[in-house]
Amino acid sequence: MHTFILRNVLQRLLLVFIVSILAHSVIHLAPGEPSEVDPANPRMKPEDIAKIRAAFHLDDPLYAQYAYWIRDLVSGELKSFKDSQPVLGKIWRRFLNSLPLFICATLLVWTLAFPTGIQAAIHRGAVYDRTTTFAAYTLISVPGFFLSYMVILWVVDLFGVPVIGLKTFGMEHAHPLFQSMDRVWHLVIPSLMSALGGMAILSRYVRSQMLEVIGQDYVRTARAKGAEEATVIYRHALRNALLPFVTMFGFLLPGLIGGSVIFEQIFAWPGLGRLGYEAILARDFPVILTLNFIAAVLTLAGTLLSDVLYAVVDPRIRTGLQGDA
Amino acid sequence: MYLKRWLLLAPLLLIVFLLQSYFWVPTYENQATGNPKRLVTYIEGSSGDAKILNPILHADTASSSIVSLVFEGLLDLDENLELRGRLATDWTISERASLFVSPSNRFPDGDDVTGTRLVARIRAALKDSAFSALAENIHAIDVLPPTRTTQTISIQERDEEEKPARRELDVIFNVPERVVFSLRRVDQDFFTRLLPVIGDRYLEHFPYEQYVEFPAEVKPDVRMQIFAQVSERFPVAEHNPVIVFQLRKGVRFHDGHEFDAGDVKFTYASIMDPKNLSPRTSDFEPIKDVEIIDAHAVRIVYKRLFSPAINAWTMGILPEHLLNADAVQREMDARGLSDAARAAFGMRDSQFNRAPIGSGLFRFVEWQSDEFIHLTRNDEYWEGPAEYHDYYMRIVPDLLTQEMEFRAGAVDYYGTQPHQVARYQEDDQYQSFSSTGFGYTYIGYNNRRPLFADPDVRRALGMAMNVDDFITYLLYGEGERMTGPYPKNTQWYDPAVAPLPYDPDGARQLLEARGWRLNADGWLEKDGKIFEFNLITNSGNPVRKNIMTIAQNAWKKIGVKCNTQYFEWAVFLKDFVNTGDFDAVVLGWSMGIDPDLYQLWHSSQAGPQQLNFIGYHNPVADDLIVRIRQEYNLDVQRALAHQLHRLIAEEQPYTFLYAPLGTRVLDKKIVLVHAEEDGSERYEKIYPIKSGDITFHFRQWRKLELTPQF
Repeated sequence: MHTFILRNVLQRLLLVFIVSILAHSVIHLAPGEPSEVDPANPRMKPEDIAKIRAAFHLDDPLYAQYAYWIRDLVSGELKSFKDSQPVLGKIWRRFLNSLPLFICATLLVWTLAFPTGIQAAIHRGAVYDRTTTFAAYTLISVPGFFLSYMVILWVVDLFGVPVIGLKTFGMEHAHPLFQSMDRVWHLVIPSLMSALGGMAILSRYVRSQMLEVIGQDYVRTARAKGAEEATVIYRHALRNALLPFVTMFGFLLPGLIGGSVIFEQIFAWPGLGRLGYEAILARDFPVILTLNFIAAVLTLAGTLLSDVLYAVVDPRIRTGLQGDA
Repeated sequence: MYLKRWLLLAPLLLIVFLLQSYFWVPTYENQATGNPKRLVTYIEGSSGDAKILNPILHADTASSSIVSLVFEGLLDLDENLELRGRLATDWTISERASLFVSPSNRFPDGDDVTGTRLVARIRAALKDSAFSALAENIHAIDVLPPTRTTQTISIQERDEEEKPARRELDVIFNVPERVVFSLRRVDQDFFTRLLPVIGDRYLEHFPYEQYVEFPAEVKPDVRMQIFAQVSERFPVAEHNPVIVFQLRKGVRFHDGHEFDAGDVKFTYASIMDPKNLSPRTSDFEPIKDVEIIDAHAVRIVYKRLFSPAINAWTMGILPEHLLNADAVQREMDARGLSDAARAAFGMRDSQFNRAPIGSGLFRFVEWQSDEFIHLTRNDEYWEGPAEYHDYYMRIVPDLLTQEMEFRAGAVDYYGTQPHQVARYQEDDQYQSFSSTGFGYTYIGYNNRRPLFADPDVRRALGMAMNVDDFITYLLYGEGERMTGPYPKNTQWYDPAVAPLPYDPDGARQLLEARGWRLNADGWLEKDGKIFEFNLITNSGNPVRKNIMTIAQNAWKKIGVKCNTQYFEWAVFLKDFVNTGDFDAVVLGWSMGIDPDLYQLWHSSQAGPQQLNFIGYHNPVADDLIVRIRQEYNLDVQRALAHQLHRLIAEEQPYTFLYAPLGTRVLDKKIVLVHAEEDGSERYEKIYPIKSGDITFHFRQWRKLELTPQF
């Protein structure tokens, strides 16, 4: 098991290195200049632009720029082009903003998708199943931003409460309980909106996975020995149906970065997705590259995690590994 | 079966917990009644976050609106876009004109030139009535003795491998005796007026080679570079405009430190410090020296005639005590920076830019990136505190949600889209303001291409399209015709210039007179070539895309074949505009308030990466452009600007299309409050000033509880 993990980690480290080089080259080779050196600004003389380019190392060869980036990233002194603020600090603050949205949306997806999917599988072909199928496909096909606009218009019109941003303005003097509930309220709609698509897809997975398992021999055996239907479904069938979802858990991690660019944009949520989006628009290379780097690390960590989890929950794989080692 | 129960209960509990939060949130009506502070809080929505809150460093609109509230400049523009004092109470503009005593020259009568003779002759001449205007302007004449100065010259030469290399070289310039005239007013023709006395050719030649000392091994071509640079720095006749600012006494920065002349000098020095990478160095580059006369007076001496340079002093003044070398040292120590970081540490890196301290109307409180910036009023503001107690700039990137927040009352100001204007104008709840800004849209023709070299051809292309169509169909009527290069709301724009008529027949006649004939396919043809070109613009701007389509169609009607294409902004600039490799472009300018068109229209600015990318070239226009930027008399400047406007309208290097109207909407409850002498208050409806800005009287804005009637 240890060698398995060690080998995986080493492989992934190499991969991170390759990915960072690739990302660095792609981003620098793409057309466009950081907005600080935009030659279309008539106030800036070519000399000024040349000075800023030199300070950003933009005219150095790509490998040197890569080296500068890695050096500053490691020493923690990497600065954004846009406002000269330390990049890691910026990302950390935005991460803290994105985190509640991410947790809330993930909880919604995973808690709602399972009961709906299981019910649909049990009542296969019934009205409930068809309704959820229809609803799921509607949610998958209607663009999330459109739905969000509709919901915002509806909520603001009907209830007259704010839904944009992290909190309501002008509540600085209210009781802390009111303030925290206000923050929860501001979470509701964006997280619901960003969860809808995931919910629809995941519940479809759960349904098909359950259907497959329900048809298995051991489920029939369980029924034949006279177990209660609930026990059959939730103990014998569900546990076995869960296996593939363990792997999906690992893929949640990279969703932390850029999982909800659109929703953060619409709901004025100052999160990581927006940080990345705006950095791309301004060609703020240090921020784009660092976010990209973190995303790569998280993706690889996620796959590693799911490999390990899979080995943990499925004894067959574990034995196979031990034999291998 | 507990698992089943949990599977159902968990989502239910979660949803109930989330939804109950709704009951804790006040609706907007409750917010206003239960929270009277809302009436003295102004919330503005912005689609982008500020980048850097420092007057010498910022370059984006969001930062600029915050910086203009937190910082204050020496001057700003009044309702008629003329300068008025802020941190400066008063200012005078005069000139020091200096002339080399050039012994190699001779006077018209053959006499040798010496300092005393030169002065004596000028003094004698000034008694003559022909020179009375000159005499009236001259305040004093002095003779400065010769001096020596060491100058660092940057030269270009070839190294051993014949590769070009730059090198710095110190040379000594023996400055000759100079006559210095102190003038009451700046006069760009001063030396020309003196020519009858000193001789017509006096200014043409000066033997720099006899006055410059350099190492003997310097090659001849490098010598030429040295002479050229020295003569540029020390011209025979030099104009040095001088501005003396009297500063306001008793003004304090938000931390209580008193503002004085040292802060002005420090702000200037910070801009010029290459470490700070200020985007405003070019605005302050014409300054030769900033001298502190006393704690509340500074003298600014300029290197050359450049009248728009004074506008640079509308920029906010920095507090020296928080950013000087000591303060920077303290900050670096506190943050524990590495040596590499210390070496490169400039003002851009300072945390000051995240929590600025100025002397403006509002003081900074808090900035949450991409969420909001909070300011609170400066109770000690010299003109009196603002009516609003708090100012928030909320960052709402999406336009639609911005409008929703405005309609729900969570944002006090909304800049409408053209198609929404009519709706808001009808709505009783809101007051709306429309005016042209500093921008306009045009079709620019590459004047270097033979196809567009003829002004009549460009005129015909302009006459073929109905610009009113653009305004009606693309802008929902929210635009005004443009006829020339200046912003419509400045005094430089000549309202008497008539726009091109919409006259497709006239256009075709003009082209026929130039030898273009319709061929069998319906295209204009000359010498076997049809009239065909590419019109390009940047992607992501639907209005410009539509302009291309309408123009293409209009030109097709007169037999001109136009192919349209659009490119991503960066590619568009890099491959087409900057290289000048295009036929025609649809673009827009956002202009400044000064009448200087040098960068956009002077023929010297037509190289790669420069802004006269259409390659406009007209010696008369060049001369006018230079005269305008050297003129300090507003009336003369205006007359010259109108002349330039007429000339460019005549030549049609662009087809000037329209200036879009900007419409802003506010709650009707927001009014202007005037404090009367008897202590009572009078309310006035908010109105836009000449520039179209409605926030000019922002200090006096207040939100009332009830909608007032005017």
